[in-house]
Amino acid sequence: MHPVLASRARLGTYLLAWAPGAALLSAQFLAQGWHLRQALAVAVPACMLGSVLFLSSWYLCRAAPPRAGRPWLLGVWAAAAGIMGLLWSGGVGCLLRLLQGLALLPAAPAGPSFTAPALLGLAATGAVFYLVTVAFHYLLIAQQQAEEAEHAGRDLRELAREAELKVLRAQLNPHFLFNSLNSISALTTIDPKGARRMCVLLAEFLRSSLRLGERETVSLAEELELVRTYLAIEQIRFGDRLRVDWAVDADAGCTEVPPLLLQPLVENAIKHGVAQLTGGGTVLIAVAVLPDRRVGIRVENARDPGQEAPAGLGMGLRQVRLRLRGRYGPGADFAAGARRDRFEVVLALPMEPAEVSHA
Amino acid sequence: MPERTFTALIVDDEALARALVREHLAEHPEVRVLAECRDGFEAVRCAAELKPDLLFLDIQMPQLDGFELLELLDPRPVVVFITAHDQHAIRAFEVHAVDYLLKPFSEERFAQALSRAKARCGKGPGPDPAALGASARAGAKLERLVVKDGVRVTLVPLGQIDYIQAQDDYVLLKTAGRGHLKQQTLASLEPRLDPGRFLRIHRSYILQLDRLARLERTPTESWVAVLRDGTRLPVSRSGRERLKQLLQEN
Repeated sequence: MHPVLASRARLGTYLLAWAPGAALLSAQFLAQGWHLRQALAVAVPACMLGSVLFLSSWYLCRAAPPRAGRPWLLGVWAAAAGIMGLLWSGGVGCLLRLLQGLALLPAAPAGPSFTAPALLGLAATGAVFYLVTVAFHYLLIAQQQAEEAEHAGRDLRELAREAELKVLRAQLNPHFLFNSLNSISALTTIDPKGARRMCVLLAEFLRSSLRLGERETVSLAEELELVRTYLAIEQIRFGDRLRVDWAVDADAGCTEVPPLLLQPLVENAIKHGVAQLTGGGTVLIAVAVLPDRRVGIRVENARDPGQEAPAGLGMGLRQVRLRLRGRYGPGADFAAGARRDRFEVVLALPMEPAEVSHA
Repeated sequence: MPERTFTALIVDDEALARALVREHLAEHPEVRVLAECRDGFEAVRCAAELKPDLLFLDIQMPQLDGFELLELLDPRPVVVFITAHDQHAIRAFEVHAVDYLLKPFSEERFAQALSRAKARCGKGPGPDPAALGASARAGAKLERLVVKDGVRVTLVPLGQIDYIQAQDDYVLLKTAGRGHLKQQTLASLEPRLDPGRFLRIHRSYILQLDRLARLERTPTESWVAVLRDGTRLPVSRSGRERLKQLLQEN
């Protein structure tokens, strides 16, 4: 449906915008030597005719949205304005005849009339009115698009918040928990000290993931510490199958990040990478300050090259991407992909030192 | 009469988990552990060579998961499944009355599962592992098939399959000119395949749809599917109906 007709407020605004047009037209008629009453009697219905006729410009606007590099659009508008102007001035000529035929206005030569040049002048005025209507419709389209964009943005933020909640709920990944308990159960007779160490690590991990999960943001250093504890537990479970390489730029440690952002990445790296390899493999965690003053984070793991690379992102990676988008918008980057026997996830996020984000 | 002895394999990718099962088994001298295996391929080799009575089997492992591994074993030992947390698998075990242990497990629970497994030894094959695996994956799409040729195990990703041909109790998986023979019937394989991707075009043929180039009519008024590589497969009347329906939907 036509957007002007779809809303009463818009229709009112549109019709009101024609009032100065009617005044302008009356002035033009007065200049032709008409009486005020005669000028108004023709100008008001003429503008009503124009307001209906020129609504059609919406279809042109919708079909040809203005964009840079489309100079031919000017030609289209000019042609449309010319045609509509002529059509309208013809209509106004007929209108005058009608009014005179109904004896509402005195007939020529005593009454008002249009000479050929006057009709052409009227057509020019009509063309200008038409162009103004075109501009009005473009504004309307831009406003509609802005509203839609805001809707989409709201949806995205909602999704991101949902993802946040899911992350917090999934902190205690049951699979991880039960496997850890099973390792402890095995260690109690084989290596009692090892069993105790694992209990302590597990308690530490659970406690700090609960604590960090409550906060809006945590420092990258805290997040990395959590990841360290997590990996220490998994290293007991997997033994020498899980090897870990660290390459962390300490300068990046003070930047604030959403809590439990990296832990799911590392969990993925083990679940879909190292755990799928009988001989195990390496997980690399690299953090650096990028030249554009953002923090770059890379989590890379060995993968079984014999397995087909995953077609899309899994649930965990999708959530990380969503959280980044929800929080930083276009300020953060996310990329993930497999290269034969490696899989890597690369993030870049704005540097946000603690004092700024708490301000 | 001396008590019967049983032989067993322990299959788990985690060394600590294997050690735990071995420790529990130490309480049961009638069970002799033949070997420990760290992944599905090793287990296939060991089982073929050692023919154990019992299998203590973790589900999530590198290379092959526990169900895929079982599909390849002949004869099939009695299995005690072990898993940390897998709701779908647990439901499947309950449905098929299969013994399972949840990590970590107690001595009593272990003894119970073991005595049930011993009682089942020699009582014929358990449930079909393909069906068990399918219900344990709970609707998750099948992505590959496992095939054994002697002791060689091959994983065939579904994307590589051009078509599948029935050959008595076997299916022949045709991939780019090669063929893999798998012991399974076409009828039992068909429901596990994505119906938007694979279609039964004939009593003996399932076709991967994107391999189809065109349909041709033969002089004897029957239809033939011509694949991109030129292979010609017969299309039955009902196969043609299904094809027509599918092409209309898209």
